[in-house]
Amino acid sequence: MLKPGDTAPPFDLACAIDSKIGRLRLGQIKSGLIVLFFYPRDFSFICPTEVIGFHKARVDFETENAAIVGVSVDDAQSHLKWAVELGGVSYPLMADIGGKIAAAYGVLDERECVALRATFIIDAKRQIAYSVASRANVGRSVSETLRVVRALRSGRMCPSDWQPGQSFGPDQQKY
Amino acid sequence: MATVDPAAKRKRIARLSSIREIVFGVQDGILTTAGVLCGLSGAVSQRNQVILAALASTAAGALSMGAGAYLGTRAESEVLHTEIKRTREEIVEEPYVVQESLLEALAKEGVSREAAYRIVKLLSSAPKALTATAEEKVYGIAVGMSGDAIADGLFMGIAFLIGALVPLLPFIFIASLHEGLIAAVATTAIALFAVGYFTGWMAERNAIRAGANFFSVAVGAAVAGYVIGLGIAKLGGLSSVAMP
Repeated sequence: MLKPGDTAPPFDLACAIDSKIGRLRLGQIKSGLIVLFFYPRDFSFICPTEVIGFHKARVDFETENAAIVGVSVDDAQSHLKWAVELGGVSYPLMADIGGKIAAAYGVLDERECVALRATFIIDAKRQIAYSVASRANVGRSVSETLRVVRALRSGRMCPSDWQPGQSFGPDQQKY
Repeated sequence: MATVDPAAKRKRIARLSSIREIVFGVQDGILTTAGVLCGLSGAVSQRNQVILAALASTAAGALSMGAGAYLGTRAESEVLHTEIKRTREEIVEEPYVVQESLLEALAKEGVSREAAYRIVKLLSSAPKALTATAEEKVYGIAVGMSGDAIADGLFMGIAFLIGALVPLLPFIFIASLHEGLIAAVATTAIALFAVGYFTGWMAERNAIRAGANFFSVAVGAAVAGYVIGLGIAKLGGLSSVAMP
């Protein structure tokens, strides 16, 4: 699994966005930060809570100049139907058929041929700034992801459980 | 239009499940008794002693097999019910995991992932239906799976008794030890072939081959029993001829 400081592997994949099928390349995303989250499969019972969670928090992420991108091994047609099933998804869901991108990020479960439940935050230099993965039965925290995005955006030393508005580290210096 | 009555079919399947106890009991009764007759005939020359020992073996075997079947089914039933209880608790505590597992089970059976998702979602609106389906599809367990311990015990014991009578009756009614033994072995072979043929027919496979399998087992057991009996007699310094 990639760690902070590693260069984010590029991707160029079909995706479902705005009820259409398109393509998405890493290079065409202009946001300062990218929240790239891998989930095992469409049409499952844990993944929708995360997909919907990120959808609901999209304005907060946009405010932080962070793009959200979801990835699974399902095809783009499946992503379209899945997005409709969930009542609409406001960010692209990429079709990583075969799991090449998941493998490049080191989060492919080779036995099941699906991605692990993993989240990467990619910075403006397109390097990994944050990475986390959990077992398939544990959903990730959208609010924690947003907190990390805000902490990264602050560019400061952020103590444990730091929240926006709270004081930074003791030296008040830029990280 | 003729329709299948599910309740009647369920009862029929439950009755058929007793076939295991019946076949096992009959087979074991025949083989054990034939083995005892052959073994003792090799070691002991007095016919009455052989008959008494075989009768004692039959009584003990029938009781032991019946009790074993009863205790086995009861233990299986208790373990199964504990497992079902634990599974139901898991379903309440971790519904997502159970839903996901059921979805995967359906997908593996050829249902498209999207259809499987909709089926599980629909089932989730009726927790009892979700629980019952998950128990069967995901964990392979069902309340009706455990047998009736008393019935299983009775079937096994009676089947053993009936099986034991097959080689024992000709041995009792034919006065000569050697001729009685030959008749016992012959009826054993015929009965085992018949049981094998019957199970093969029930399972809709080659009945003659199934009967032949039973036949070879019978001959093997009889020959082995006789040889072992001779060996024991020699080890103990006994002679089947010299015995009063």
